[in-house]
Amino acid sequence: MRYGLSVVTRGAAGIAIALFLNAQASAATLLREATIGEPPPLDVMLTTADVASVIGRHIFETLYALDSTYTPRPMLAESEREADGGKTIVIKLREGVSFHNGKEMTAKDVVASTKRWGDFGARGKLLMAAATSVEATGKYEVTLKLSAPNGAWKNLIADVNGGLAIYPEDIAANAGNKPIEQKDYIGTGPYKFVEWRPNRYVEVEKFDGYKPVKDKADGFAGARAAVFDKIRFIPVPDVGTRVSGVQAGDYDYAEMISGDLYESLSKDPSVQVQRTNAPIFGLFFMNSKQGILKDNYKLRRAIQTALDKSQALRVAFGPKDLWNAEGSIFPKGTPWYSTEGVSNYSPRDPKKAKELAKEADYSGTPIRLLVSTNYQAHYDEAAVFTRQLADAGINVQMMVVDWATLLKMRGQPEQWDIFVTHHSFSPDPLLLTFLNASYPGWWDSPEIGALRADLIKSTDPAARKSTWDKIQALVYDQVPVMKVGDAYTYDIASPKLKGLNPNGPAFWNVSTK
Amino acid sequence: MWSYVLKRAGTTAVTLLAASVIIFAFIHVVPGDPIYVLLGDTATPDQIDALRHQFGLDRPIIVQYLTWVGHVLEGDLGRSIFFQAPVLSVIADGAETSALLATMTMIWVTIIGVPIGMIAAVRHGTWLDQGLSGGAMLMASIPTFWVGLYLILIFAAWLGWFPSSGYPSIFEGGGAANLRYLVLPSLALAAPNAALILRLTRASMLDVAREDYVRTARAKGIRPWQVVRRHILRNALLAVVSAFGFTFAALLSEAVVTETVFALPGIGRLVVQSILRRDYPVIQGVILVIVVVYLLVNLIVDLSYRLLDPRVELQ
Repeated sequence: MRYGLSVVTRGAAGIAIALFLNAQASAATLLREATIGEPPPLDVMLTTADVASVIGRHIFETLYALDSTYTPRPMLAESEREADGGKTIVIKLREGVSFHNGKEMTAKDVVASTKRWGDFGARGKLLMAAATSVEATGKYEVTLKLSAPNGAWKNLIADVNGGLAIYPEDIAANAGNKPIEQKDYIGTGPYKFVEWRPNRYVEVEKFDGYKPVKDKADGFAGARAAVFDKIRFIPVPDVGTRVSGVQAGDYDYAEMISGDLYESLSKDPSVQVQRTNAPIFGLFFMNSKQGILKDNYKLRRAIQTALDKSQALRVAFGPKDLWNAEGSIFPKGTPWYSTEGVSNYSPRDPKKAKELAKEADYSGTPIRLLVSTNYQAHYDEAAVFTRQLADAGINVQMMVVDWATLLKMRGQPEQWDIFVTHHSFSPDPLLLTFLNASYPGWWDSPEIGALRADLIKSTDPAARKSTWDKIQALVYDQVPVMKVGDAYTYDIASPKLKGLNPNGPAFWNVSTK
Repeated sequence: MWSYVLKRAGTTAVTLLAASVIIFAFIHVVPGDPIYVLLGDTATPDQIDALRHQFGLDRPIIVQYLTWVGHVLEGDLGRSIFFQAPVLSVIADGAETSALLATMTMIWVTIIGVPIGMIAAVRHGTWLDQGLSGGAMLMASIPTFWVGLYLILIFAAWLGWFPSSGYPSIFEGGGAANLRYLVLPSLALAAPNAALILRLTRASMLDVAREDYVRTARAKGIRPWQVVRRHILRNALLAVVSAFGFTFAALLSEAVVTETVFALPGIGRLVVQSILRRDYPVIQGVILVIVVVYLLVNLIVDLSYRLLDPRVELQ
């Protein structure tokens, strides 16, 4: 009897331990992230959609990666040297890096990827428009020749978002301008693509052949280790559901939570709040190509003078922890922070604005403001500014459309005078969309043309900073865009997770406590 | 009967053709373009034009329509621009969720709406009837998303009885146990529809109860519950069954909000998301499938009239 009881007891204990271990193992195996929606194809070279970058960053890697101060550090590159006054860049690659298909990454893969990025990549033209050649000059060495030096080259290739992700040679060479197929989602990252179930999830799993860099992990740079065996990126469009899902333990991480929940979630022990260290900022683009605001700097300054940016930020983002009425385009603490021109950032002086508008011969013609409801903050900011401008006698007519319509309409200069968007943090001014003369807004005055050329060709950091100061002053003088202010988005995670990345959702080096 | 079915099939084909023209025209009239969404913020006009050409979006609309119809007749609904997968497989994946959600919802609607409607009718004019009718009005008035969010908060976040969101297929690990993911969403979706059926059952039964044959049955001394069951309920069900058909078909599209709140991979959310991204092949495919389902459900409902009431003639 006693023997029987002992067997039962031991059996029960064994089952309990097995169940416990199994529970522990399965808890450590799968990380579930609730994303804001379904991504577009994960061909990260072609798209700048954040949701694609968040997933793609686990699969694909770049030659350099940004650390927590947004400085580029070698990732697939090992070292580099510049010659010919910066017009020749020789990059030495790390040896022994494998793609998910088992093939070793060599210079041929980097050359094919660079060529495709230059031809079709979302940000490829910023560097490759001035490229005269890109060649493999050794099995692990790539040489890029430029017609003029580019002081920002490393920053331009240090992120997967529309950036130079390295694909296998055959895939990059044959893809052309069409997004690559799912079977070709082959990178060198710590996770490899498994499957994409439409509307359900995108799943990646640990890549056993991953070879990390030796440097300590820092932001997106440094050593990467896949701790979770699998990650599922699950589209959960409703923010309330994302929050409840983490609270209930159905998700481990949820991104882009709304400002109104910030204070309550900060005190909630069932979640940990992860505020981004890099702000995004709203931008109101003026039409420099056509319409009432074309070359009309006085009227643009009148609009700028009427506005109180703090009011718009409060309405759009809520608690003060989540926004900062900052006039510098780059936030404090970055090398590009500047006070040039910021006295004109948020004057909130409707009387002076009225006078400036009068000087500009403004007679009440409606100014068409194109804004989308897909981003609530855009709409809130536009609504506040429209009211403030009315107080200054400036007649703004809001044209409210969905994001897909706005993207098309803003390319048609006859359709709008101002349009609203936002910009993510950039490590270099050359990545700012409003400095690109072909981006809707089309700011291409002779003054910015000359300063832009200086900024590109200069390789000396001090000289580049001085040029940037002049550009920021010009932004407040010619007003091609109006910066609304810095907004800090935040995510929430299970309190059990540790090692979360300060740069944003990236789940290598993340484990359970 | 069979000649009726054939006649209806012919009408269905014409309706489908007209629907295909309307679907295609409406989608392409709406401004916006999938390529702008696909390439994102920094795409240049050259990149956009080149990719539009690759996807055939620069061809005349009529050519695009005829090509699409040609492929549909061969059973090919095209390929999703964003999912990079055949539209048919994308729809099939979402159809499982939507069909199960609609079925579970209809079960709640039936077991809540019909019996309570019967009780309200039988106890017509009493405090019970007023209480049940008032409750039904309340259920019909509360927005589904609000009910959904509170169900998640109470039964998932606080009590932990059900998952908060998502739905893994029953063909995956977990099998039929995965149906627990649909309990809260189906309840949220059932609330207004059960109220509708409740009120309809009550009203129909009250109408029938005034008929001469019911009075005769009562005069013959048949027990009250037998009168209700044999004479009133059966005749009242004609109107209720008709509403069931419409409700079931409408659930496929009504479920959009519920699918969004509960992050369910169903057809409703698929079509809304595809509209926002202008994924033309998916929008066209999903709406066409929904039209087909509507037509089929209506056909089945019409045929069921005959089974419920032999006096009905199908012409």
